[in-house]
Amino acid sequence: MELFFQQLTNGLAVGAIYALIALGYTMVYGVLKLINFAHGDLFTIGAYLGLTLLTSMALTEHIGPFLGVSVLAIMVMGLVAVIGALLDRLAYRPLRESPRLSAVVSALGASIFFQNTVMLIYGARFQVYPQNILPKTAINIFGLYVPLIRILILLASIVMMGALYFFIQKTKVGTAIRAAAIDQGAARLMGIDVNRVILMVFLLGPAMGGLAGLMVGLYYGQINFTMGWVYGLKAFTAAILGGIGNIPGAMVGGILLGVIEAMGAAYISIAWKDAIAFCVLILILIFRPTGLLGERVAEKV
Amino acid sequence: MKKLFFVALAVALMFGAAYAAEPVKVGLMGPMTGSWASEGQEMKQVLDLLAEDLNAKGGLLGQQVVVVSEDDGGDPRTAALAAQRLGTQGIVGVIGTYGSSVTEATQNIYDEAKIIQIANGSTAIRLTEKGLKYFFRTCPRDDEQAKVGAQTIEKMKFKRVAIVHDNTTYAKGLADEARGILDANKDVEIVFFEAIVPGERDYTAILTKMKAFNPDVVFFTGYYPEAGLILRQKKEMNWDVPFIGGDATNNPDLVKIAGKDAAAGFYFLSAPLPKDLPSEEAKQFLEAFTKKYGNPPSSIYAVLAGDGFRVLTHAIAETKSTDPDKVANYLHNDIKDFPGLTGKISFNDKGDRVGEVYRVYKVNEQGQFILMP
Repeated sequence: MELFFQQLTNGLAVGAIYALIALGYTMVYGVLKLINFAHGDLFTIGAYLGLTLLTSMALTEHIGPFLGVSVLAIMVMGLVAVIGALLDRLAYRPLRESPRLSAVVSALGASIFFQNTVMLIYGARFQVYPQNILPKTAINIFGLYVPLIRILILLASIVMMGALYFFIQKTKVGTAIRAAAIDQGAARLMGIDVNRVILMVFLLGPAMGGLAGLMVGLYYGQINFTMGWVYGLKAFTAAILGGIGNIPGAMVGGILLGVIEAMGAAYISIAWKDAIAFCVLILILIFRPTGLLGERVAEKV
Repeated sequence: MKKLFFVALAVALMFGAAYAAEPVKVGLMGPMTGSWASEGQEMKQVLDLLAEDLNAKGGLLGQQVVVVSEDDGGDPRTAALAAQRLGTQGIVGVIGTYGSSVTEATQNIYDEAKIIQIANGSTAIRLTEKGLKYFFRTCPRDDEQAKVGAQTIEKMKFKRVAIVHDNTTYAKGLADEARGILDANKDVEIVFFEAIVPGERDYTAILTKMKAFNPDVVFFTGYYPEAGLILRQKKEMNWDVPFIGGDATNNPDLVKIAGKDAAAGFYFLSAPLPKDLPSEEAKQFLEAFTKKYGNPPSSIYAVLAGDGFRVLTHAIAETKSTDPDKVANYLHNDIKDFPGLTGKISFNDKGDRVGEVYRVYKVNEQGQFILMP
């Protein structure tokens, strides 16, 4: 039983990261019906920008670890959001009226462009975050050994997802985003500037992805320019699992995928853990083709 | 169509020889991008340096030597395309590559094109068991490595052994081989045998599972990026089981990724590291490399690629020919104890390097790799 809960905490930390990245996929899909394949690379850029800012500004030395990391997180999110907006402006907006396939190809191209840009700037070798930025204490919960940083990752993800959910549901801009997701033409007739809504989506999604990149860097330490591929694929899966286009779905899908992976590894086979996760995905899609929470089509974003 | 291509290639080669105005081209196929990119880029640095050196001394057969490099991305599919591209460039031989599964995807392409291939890091056993006439390697084989690994485990009196690989040709081969040897020993019990998925960040699930089996030692046969992460997460779990790694964990980035305190006490098997190379040639080479690039080479595989280049050019110079049959024949039969950077080099009938033993290294508290006696 102890093993089960230990694996559950392992899965939750991984799943929280998947969920944060999945938000970016799902929001863009909700509004544009476009799979933003470059999203995983925005996550990579977040991890690298975090490293650069961390080592060049030594924030955590001046204002303490927690405040330092918070300021760092805000800076990374802001910068990645700007890159996300530029991505939309340069790679997707010129193709808005073109067939959807053109935008998908453009997304793939942007992904390759980002990946190789990071490689040329930072080099192909693994980069490593400085150690001991955050205290390495572990908390003992009923005999379970949980590193503090994992709890922080989970908490930060939930807070960010909650804030985003509130923003989408309760604010005027959020309402505009939901309206544009349902019907762009009608939204435009209602006086909503759809291009600004899309810009908003490309600010929010990449900010979440960038934050996830920073978290992975801080916790796992090792980053390289191809890391966005695996995480992007998993997060994309999570978004589909939860029902693509649906924000709570992305959160549930991400956490669920992380837990399924950990449990599959624990009780069936580690080598097969991805296969198990994808089998679950297929089963869910057979019985619920729109994903777990995908039935609320009218409200998808 | 294929035949026509080879006829064309042969004609092209003949003209090359007849006019002898063309430079001698040596291919390099290495992972310039992808997760092993640091290996590939260093391979290229080594070959560029050696070619420059050779050209300064008058080149080969009176011609300049040109290194034509292609990126295999550390990926078998990319590598097959890279091999086909190299095959059309009139190269005499190709050096590379690092990963065994990547090399395997290109072996037949080079063999059909009659291009000599000298792999530098592909230690999987079956690569030289196919009877390919033009295939050589300067690195040792995994059966030898598994033997040394098993002996180390037996010598240290570990009873309960966990073996973890990553399902690549190399890692699985080494793990299977080691399991075979250890199974024959009644004192040793293999309590855990599983594969991880390379390229991920979180390996706590496998560590948690493995810990429940309570092994005395873990033999990890995968590559250094994953090894570093696993060591780091193992430390975070407060689990102090000793780890032994295969030769693919031999890279200074391992310590960077794991952190010094988590890497300390990690054992790994390897051919001697660049810094521990005893020969005079090696010292000169390391000096020249440091002078040119600002730091000594970090990976032995890059130096082994350099040895591949040196034996190939030596064979071309000795046979005064770029005919692949003559050169291959020379490498198989006539080259004896060639003074390589990594020690004496001779090849057997299969194209495997003769002699050369694995050593055991340990990472110390400062994160340095110390050769075990």
